[in-house]
Order: sequence, then structure tokens, then C-alpha cells
Amino acid sequence: MESVIKLQNFYFAYKSSAVLALRDINLEIKKGSFTVITGPSGAGKTTLCKAITGIVPYYMGGRYSGEVEVLGASTKGKRVSDLAMRVGFIMEDYESQLVSLTAGEEVAFALLNHGFAPEEIAERTSRALEDVGLPGRESYQLDELSGGQRQRLLLAATLAVHPEIIVLDEPVSAMDPDGAQSLYKLVYDIHKRYGTTIVAVEHRMDYLLPYVTDMIALKEGEVAAADAFEAAAPKMYEDKALRPLLPALWQIKLGLEEKLSLDLGDWRSERDALADFKTYGIVAKEGRAD
Amino acid sequence: MNEKNKPVPQLIEVEPMQEGYRWVAITAMLLAIGIILHTVSPNVGGVTPNWTIAMYSIVINLTRPKLTQAIGIGFIAGLTLVPSSKSAFPLGNVASELAGATVCCLLVRAMFSAGLGEWKLRPFVTGFLATMTSGGLFTFILKLVLGLPLHVWIFVMLPVVAVVGLLNGLITFFLYAPVRKLFYVQEGGK
Repeated sequence: MESVIKLQNFYFAYKSSAVLALRDINLEIKKGSFTVITGPSGAGKTTLCKAITGIVPYYMGGRYSGEVEVLGASTKGKRVSDLAMRVGFIMEDYESQLVSLTAGEEVAFALLNHGFAPEEIAERTSRALEDVGLPGRESYQLDELSGGQRQRLLLAATLAVHPEIIVLDEPVSAMDPDGAQSLYKLVYDIHKRYGTTIVAVEHRMDYLLPYVTDMIALKEGEVAAADAFEAAAPKMYEDKALRPLLPALWQIKLGLEEKLSLDLGDWRSERDALADFKTYGIVAKEGRAD
Repeated sequence: MNEKNKPVPQLIEVEPMQEGYRWVAITAMLLAIGIILHTVSPNVGGVTPNWTIAMYSIVINLTRPKLTQAIGIGFIAGLTLVPSSKSAFPLGNVASELAGATVCCLLVRAMFSAGLGEWKLRPFVTGFLATMTSGGLFTFILKLVLGLPLHVWIFVMLPVVAVVGLLNGLITFFLYAPVRKLFYVQEGGK
């Protein structure tokens, strides 16, 4: 499958730090995938997001080696604002990305800065707000919106530029479980509707289990696993530091497989797990009957 | 999978592109704070700190601008002081802040060249000397405008400038670290 992001032998250290934040990163992110980047604190997840969006190393400065290609071109010499028209980035501290007074102005901000026609801006703004469940809120002041709504608004502002890739850095870290599930459901709907490649940093993988197609696990700045989710999860399970980051269901699944030498299915929900239990339960009964 | 002990290749150092714009934002914000403090600070015993000089000293220590940028900072800082100035020659502020910012910039650059970039007293010394330069020039212009004798400038005006310089040095010293933390927090380093 075609890749949209490619890192080759990439090393990076922040300007004021002697320690490498990323070390020998080699990975590809497939077009149209829902890729999750996970890893313990300080593993380099946010730095990897910044590398993908061109913020690292050229905007922030620092020391690097290797190559980052986004949508077939090196990020070298690219302005973050140009890259942002193709790669949307929602940071963990999303409030710091809000720059306008009203919801409509916020969504239109990037479009205005890139010289879009007023009619197109109005059309895209209205459509983007509709897509995130905030239809007709153009005139709302930002302080009239709840935290969750402001996060959706930022997603709308990202969507309005029609990016091919959306990168989300721990977008639900300050949300309750219902809000987190609701936001990821929305992101998944957008991914399905527009075929947008999603790259989400998340250490609470349970929220993403129904949607994830590919997984990248980082540990101490290095890639510990990077593959399709079903292939990456067993590699993470083998590593005691990464195991707790797997979705709870998969920790159970891989534990059962290891202990009972079973080959269970691709569990994406409790229903899948129960179906497998039922199947093996029936086999056991049949076994006794025989 | 990566090998832990693989040798790290030669890394390429890149300067941050954001600095091209961020120094402007930091300067604007700190000068605005300086103007407000300059307006509300009470005069104690005839002495009041010059917040504007302290603020641009912090900015110059923080962003290490080019000389032309520092001249721009000094010029803007001087202009902001003209409307509220009660002196006999308000436009003297432009010349004095230009000189103050220039000296501060040259001192910071010299200190980095001499390997004193991490010296903790750098903000104090540069804040003090920038104030001495700015205040010294401003009072000298005043001496010329008012036709005061030289000994008045040396024995009356310059000691007051030195006291204000000490105050400004302390302000620059104590505010430098928190301001740096505030503006450079996302760089993930020290």
C-alpha cells in the first residue's frame, strides 16, 4: 500500500538537550490508515508528531540526521504553514491553537491566510462545523463553547483545509471517558467519510481499539514495534514496559493465547471476545461429549 | 528493530525558523508590560526603576537579536517613553534607549563569544550597564538642553542613574529566568 509518511534513519535532539529525543527511526505510515502511536512517557511520541508535521527540526531547531518525507516530499525547507494545508495537527494543549474570537473566524483562519475566496471560505466553514456536530455555530464566541466543543471546533478548523493527513497528539488526555469515546468516534467517521489518514498519539488504547489499523510503539526514543495492529500488538506484549499500553482486551487475548496455545480472533470489542469464548466453550463441551 | 548500540551519525544543527517572528512577539509583549509598569510605578525617594530598559534587557538577553534588530527594539522603546515623559526634552528618550539597547546587545554578544553565555549574572550586568548607558546619555542630553554645569551631571545625576541601574539590574536578573521558562517551555530542554 502507498505510504504517506516515511522516516528513514531519523535522529533528533532538541536544541537545549544532549539526549536524543528520537533515535534511528525507520517507519512508514500507509495512506488511508488509522495509525496509533503509543509508548511510555518521554518515549518521543510528541516529537515524532512534530517531525511528521515539519515542526521538528526546521521550525524548532535542534540537531538531526536522516530524512522525513510527507506525501512524497521531504519536509526540509518546507514552511509549517504550507505543510499544514496538507497535514492537520491537533496538539495536546489544543487551547493554545485557538486564535480567534468566534467559531466561524477560527475555522476560517487558515483559509483566510491562504487567500481562499470568501464564498469558498463560508462554504467550507459551514461544512466543517456541520461535520463535527457544531452546525450553525459560526457566530458563537469561543467562551460560549465547552472544552469538548472547542476541541471539535479545532477539528473543524483542521478539516476545513481538507488535509490528507490529520495528526492528533493525545487529544483526549483531559476528557472523561464518554467525551473521549465520542471524539474518537467522530475522528473515525471523518476517516471513513473522506479517506483521511489519521495518526493519533494515545496511551489509553482502549478508546481506539475499534478503529486502529496500524500501530507504532516507541520506547526511549526508538521504534519498538511498527506494523499492522494485529502484528504489532504481540511484539508489544512481549515487552513488559509496553504490555500495559495494549488495550485491556488484547492483554487478555494475548495472555490466553500464550497460556492456552489458542489462536483467538481479532478482538475489537467485548462482543468479539465473547464470541470467541462461546466458540471455545462449545468446543470444550463437544470435547467432553466425545 | 533498532540496535541500541548503533553509532549515532553526525547530526546536522539547524537554527529554529520560528525565531524570525517570535522575538517580535516577545519584544512587543515585554515592552507593553514595561510601559504599564512604567506608568504605575511609584517614585520612592526620587528613584523609580526604568521598567522599559529592564524589559528590553530581558528581551535582548533572551532572544539575542542582531544589532539592527536591537537598534529597532531601542528605537521603539524610546518612542513609547516620549508621550509620558515629564522631562525637559522627551525626545532624548529615543537617543538614550537606542544607545541602551545597542550596548545591551553588544554586551550579550560579547559575553556569548567569551564563553560567558551561561553566566548567571549576565542579565544583571547587561541590565545594569544598559541602564547606565541609557540614563547617562539621557541626563547628558538634559544637561546640554538645560545648560547645567558638568559637575552637576557627574555628582548629582550620574549617582541617581547608578541607583536606577542597580534596581534595573536586579529586575532583569530576577525576571530573566521565569520569562525564559515561559517562552521556551516547549523546547523540551533545560
